[in-house]
Amino acid sequence: MTDIEASMPPVKAPATERGLFRARYTASPATMPVMLGLPVLAWQLVFFAAPLVFLIVVTFWKVRSFRLEPDFSFDNWTKIIFSVPFQRALAYTGEVAVLCTALTLIVALPAAYTISFRLSQKLRDLAITFLIVPVFSSYMLRIYAWQIVLSPDGIVNSLIRMAGLDGLPLLGGQFALQVGLLTLTLPVAILILVLAFSGIDRNLVEAAENLGCRRSKVILHVLMPSIRNATFLAGSTAFLMSFGDYISPLFMTGSKPPTLSILIVDTVKSGSQWPRASVIGVIMLAILALVFLLANFLGRDRKIQAGGK
Amino acid sequence: MPANLSTALSRIGQYTLIAAIALFIATPMLVIAVFSFDANRFPTIPWGGFSLQWHQAVFEDAMIRDAFLNSLIVGLGTAIIATLLGFAAAYIDYRYMFRGKTLFGLLVAIPPAVPVSILGMAMLAFLSRLGLFGSVEAIIACHVAIATSFAMAIIRLRLGEFSRDLEPAAWNLGASPVATLFTVVVPFCKPALIASFFLSAAVSFDEFLIAWFVGGVNETLPVRILNLLQGQVNPKINAIGTIVLIISVLLVLVAQRFTSVRAGKAASSSS
Repeated sequence: MTDIEASMPPVKAPATERGLFRARYTASPATMPVMLGLPVLAWQLVFFAAPLVFLIVVTFWKVRSFRLEPDFSFDNWTKIIFSVPFQRALAYTGEVAVLCTALTLIVALPAAYTISFRLSQKLRDLAITFLIVPVFSSYMLRIYAWQIVLSPDGIVNSLIRMAGLDGLPLLGGQFALQVGLLTLTLPVAILILVLAFSGIDRNLVEAAENLGCRRSKVILHVLMPSIRNATFLAGSTAFLMSFGDYISPLFMTGSKPPTLSILIVDTVKSGSQWPRASVIGVIMLAILALVFLLANFLGRDRKIQAGGK
Repeated sequence: MPANLSTALSRIGQYTLIAAIALFIATPMLVIAVFSFDANRFPTIPWGGFSLQWHQAVFEDAMIRDAFLNSLIVGLGTAIIATLLGFAAAYIDYRYMFRGKTLFGLLVAIPPAVPVSILGMAMLAFLSRLGLFGSVEAIIACHVAIATSFAMAIIRLRLGEFSRDLEPAAWNLGASPVATLFTVVVPFCKPALIASFFLSAAVSFDEFLIAWFVGGVNETLPVRILNLLQGQVNPKINAIGTIVLIISVLLVLVAQRFTSVRAGKAASSSS
């Protein structure tokens, strides 16, 4: 015994220590995570998940004398899906969002490239700040400002008239709407792409250049494939933001023609047609979920192939 | 030579694009700020002379003062709760493995991706069934559900730089997991906690559709502005707008100051 004890201490002491620590740690293994996790879980369930689930439930309910009554009917679904205003709004919103996504990517890709590869460290940090600030500040006010700039007697038209030309009908069309939506989508899309570009190993670019690739070839064969995932993410984010936006259509085109978000708010405001507004909301969410899954799938596809090669 | 010329042209094109985007982002903010000091009722060129009357009118407007107070309460409440919840979520994601972790992460991360027009309607429909709508507390509750996502993202990023050995070291030295959390993890996360506090406040301060749906008669500042905007042209809007803009830009700048996200650094370190 004494022999064993004499030979063991250096090994045994840490072992018992670890045992003690284990004992203390496993005495209440679930307390810490539960204490920390439960409030978050409860909060998100009650104030985020439950409202969305309830939104789906409400689509099957009925309105009798301005009051919601539980029911199980597909009445609201058929009424909305076969209504012409809804179909028009759906087509229009989709068209607007696709156009906005395309414009966003066309501008954001070269912009992000320039910010990542052509600006000095200081300017790049400044550019990042310049892009982060608008994401979180006063989108509504900035759209109102565009209204001032583009309105018939606004700043741009005043300048045009000073130059002796006729004013342009800038407000109220697709142009104004896209200006508003790009105000929303462009900073986010550029940020996503700048982060992706900065994650690229510069050695790859140098290697390609040393092997005689011209800049256009480097961009096409090295840079673009590396940020494929981020491009799809930026695109789907731009689609999501422009598809669901309420403010730009409201102020830039005066809700004419209405988008789906306008339709939702109007349906809720003009009496208690909650179930029908909910149907529109659920359809919008389904479309957005599909777009995201598709973008995710397309973004990943190549990666797996590249890994296999 | 033609290659050099095309390179030069391409560079000029690139810098022009960046300048154009900077102008595109700055113009609306500048327009609001500049015309809030314009004596004209309708903001246009030519400029009608310098005047502080609209700013003065804003400070004398009781509804705007009330809305500002509501915004302050909602922003502060949201910032505190979202930072606490965001820290808890980030730490759990960092420290533990459990079944349903992905689902848990999604539940926290996804809310900002849902269009606010839908989310606001859903929250109002649900909260009114619970009898919870129409109060400042309801706005806070809903804003927290969104802002926690940003708070968690910022704090999780910081925890990514936290050595996995530090906590076990503290445990081995006899600190309880709770003591370790407060004396080792929280101090390490302090910059991220400050950043997420200010960013959550900015998110709340900027949000109007949910506040409008859920708040009932309790208007926050952006809701007041939205209601003013839907009326006639009101020169007060530029003046409140300038104040709101300054506050939200400051909140975001402070938040960014305390985060470690700098794309520039990442780019230079990889080269």
